Amino acid sequence: MFRYIVRRLIQMIPLLIGVSIIVFLLGHLAPGDPVRMLLGEEATQEDVERLHAVYGFDQPLPVQYFRWFSRAIRGDLGVSIRQTIPVSTLIFERLGATVELAVVSVFIAVLLGIPLGLFASTRRGSIWDYLTMIVSLLGVSMPGFWLGLVLLSYVALHVNWLPMFGRDVSIMTGLVTLFTKFRADDLINAFRFLLLPALALGTSMMAIIARLTRSSMLEVLSKDYIRTAQAKGLKKGVVVVKHALRNALMPVITMVGIQFGAMLGGAVVTETVFAWPGVGRLVINAITQRDFPLVQGGVLMMALIFTVVNLLVDVCYALVNPRIRYE
Amino acid sequence: MVRKSSLFVTLALLVVLAFSAVAGADNNTLVIGSGAEAVGLDPRLETDVPSFERINLINQALVQFATNMELEPALATEWSVSDDTMTLWFKLREGVKWHDGVPFTAEDVKYTYEWVLNPENGALNMGLYADIDEIEIVNDHEIIFRLKQPNAFLMNNIARMPITPKHDGDRVDFRQSPIGTGPYKFVSWTRDDRLVLVENEEYWGGRPNIPNVIFRAIPENSTRLLAFEAGEIDIYQGGMVAQEIGRLEADPKYVVQRTPGTGYTYLGFNTKVGPLADVRVRQAVSYLIHREGIVRNVLNGIGTPGIGPVSMSLPWFNNDVVRYDYNPEKAKELLREAGYEPGQINLRLFTNENPDRMRIAEILQYECMQAGINVEVIIEEWGAYLARVQETDDFDIFILGWSGQLDPDRAMIRQFHTNGSNNYGKYSNERVDYLLDLGRTVPQESQESIDIYREAQEIVVREVPYGFINYTEEVGLHHPYIGNWEVHPYGAAAWQDAHLMTKNK
Repeated sequence: MFRYIVRRLIQMIPLLIGVSIIVFLLGHLAPGDPVRMLLGEEATQEDVERLHAVYGFDQPLPVQYFRWFSRAIRGDLGVSIRQTIPVSTLIFERLGATVELAVVSVFIAVLLGIPLGLFASTRRGSIWDYLTMIVSLLGVSMPGFWLGLVLLSYVALHVNWLPMFGRDVSIMTGLVTLFTKFRADDLINAFRFLLLPALALGTSMMAIIARLTRSSMLEVLSKDYIRTAQAKGLKKGVVVVKHALRNALMPVITMVGIQFGAMLGGAVVTETVFAWPGVGRLVINAITQRDFPLVQGGVLMMALIFTVVNLLVDVCYALVNPRIRYE
Repeated sequence: MVRKSSLFVTLALLVVLAFSAVAGADNNTLVIGSGAEAVGLDPRLETDVPSFERINLINQALVQFATNMELEPALATEWSVSDDTMTLWFKLREGVKWHDGVPFTAEDVKYTYEWVLNPENGALNMGLYADIDEIEIVNDHEIIFRLKQPNAFLMNNIARMPITPKHDGDRVDFRQSPIGTGPYKFVSWTRDDRLVLVENEEYWGGRPNIPNVIFRAIPENSTRLLAFEAGEIDIYQGGMVAQEIGRLEADPKYVVQRTPGTGYTYLGFNTKVGPLADVRVRQAVSYLIHREGIVRNVLNGIGTPGIGPVSMSLPWFNNDVVRYDYNPEKAKELLREAGYEPGQINLRLFTNENPDRMRIAEILQYECMQAGINVEVIIEEWGAYLARVQETDDFDIFILGWSGQLDPDRAMIRQFHTNGSNNYGKYSNERVDYLLDLGRTVPQESQESIDIYREAQEIVVREVPYGFINYTEEVGLHHPYIGNWEVHPYGAAAWQDAHLMTKNK
């Protein structure tokens, strides 16, 4: 297992270099000039040339890339052109908000999605099955920004204690005040601000998990060993949860892992609708502004997080299914 | 058992706390919901309106624009421009202190401008001040700017450059935590979330009425409007949800303020390549812009039909120029005169993903088709679009807008002078060049200045390097409990007098 993890980590290096080259080329070969974006519509030619020299954009592309790369491997992702703040600072000050939103969304999705799928699969063909599947179809079909605005207009506007936008303190801060000062208000505030964005972001994932759990369960429930278990006279609950669900969860875990990795790259739409200060908005703004160091640094971070999460998912397989061994 | 009961108490506590209502900000805090986050807070480096909205509460220029767009004293109490417009003299306000208590002097003014003019510092707006040759300090409260060449309108650029402190301006993180002389002091800034300011008790203009100001960045217009209606923000700032303006104006719970802005939207024509090199074809297209319809239906009435480059509220505005009121017959006649049969002209119209501009493009495409001009509409991503318009002549028509056109020089010389830095359509007219150069050498308050720019407008509107679509309008939206605030024609100056505002919720 340890050797497997080390091998996977080493394999990540060429992958990340590949990603960085692709991002670099896509950025620089697409039309649009960061200096002109910075100067806006009032740019003069002299200003453009002066700033090109300041930022090194007058150098050939390979030179620019290797300059960036040689600093990046030493952990220096450069400085945002637009904000003159280190890229790593900009990313890390928003990473907490993004991770928090992703974790809570996944939590909501898993906590509701798996029981829903389980419920539907054990009542196959019944009215409950159809109802659950219709609800989850709705969940998959609703675009996130629409659901977000609906939640704001019909829930937050009328429920006084749900805020409309933004973020207050982090869950971490909330836990710290709870355990050091025995006050829960910070933690509650953290969740109050998180609830609607996490619902908006988690709903489609919940729906996908419910559908996947249902179909995967139906497949497993028709297997011979389930019939054997039933024939042995085991209780229905034990058969479903202990024998069937554990085996049915494999594809669900894969899906959760992929979605979670993607969410950690920032949920641009949800972040925008709820004015949530996460990395998605940061990187999208950086792309429209052609803030190359920030785009490159941001995408590299996302790729890193995504591959690490994938690795963790593979490790999880072994925990859920002891028959899986990594050599 | 003990553990169980303590768990229960905790849960009960959580529930009680959870249902306690969200307290909206009290009368001691003004919450402004802004459409975009500031890029930074250093007046020497920023160029965008959202940044200056915030900066103008903390830092101040020598002079500022009043809501009637006339210059009024700020850090300078008196000023004069010599008749040859080559020398500017300022008397600085005495007894002003920086937020850290250090007195404000002429050294700070000299420092700020010299910093901006030093190319190594990468100040984006350096070009606006490039005519300054040297700055002479007469004494602590008197300073003289000498110019390299006449520039009667430099005063207006000076109104856009808040002064930074010499003793603190080189701090590495000044851009993230500035100090100034303004009515509010910087407290903290969480990017993409909130900027917190507190009153400057020793402000020279009087202690602010509202002790705290918080800017919240809420990018989505619909969310910002909902937060405003829910009372979580006191003032709605930035892009208006146009479809909602009628409802908001009719609702007594809200106050909607409107004033003509300082910008305009236009069709830019390629005057050198293709059929639009013929002035009659350009005139024909201008006759096909249904300005009233566009303002009414696309902009939901926010804005006014375009006439020329100079805003109607400025004294230089020329009302007696050719009007291109929507007239398809006239357009067809001009096309015949130019020797074109219907269907012979093919034009490519570019715009970015701005929804209003895309709709304007479609409307124009239809009108042109009716008059026998084929228009292909091509929508490009902002960066790619800007690169095409600014760096190539590979277009026939583009749609863009100008904002902050505070004087006729700013509204015309870069756009219509043969050597203008933003003359993307390569327009050229000797008389216009002469007038625009001459205008800078004449004091801006003089009748001569007005005559010069009225003639220049007359020529430009007749020769149609631009098809003027609409003038912009600034909309301010706030709760009735906010007092002493007027929406400003120049968006960046919106909060410069925030110390006078009141809140009685």
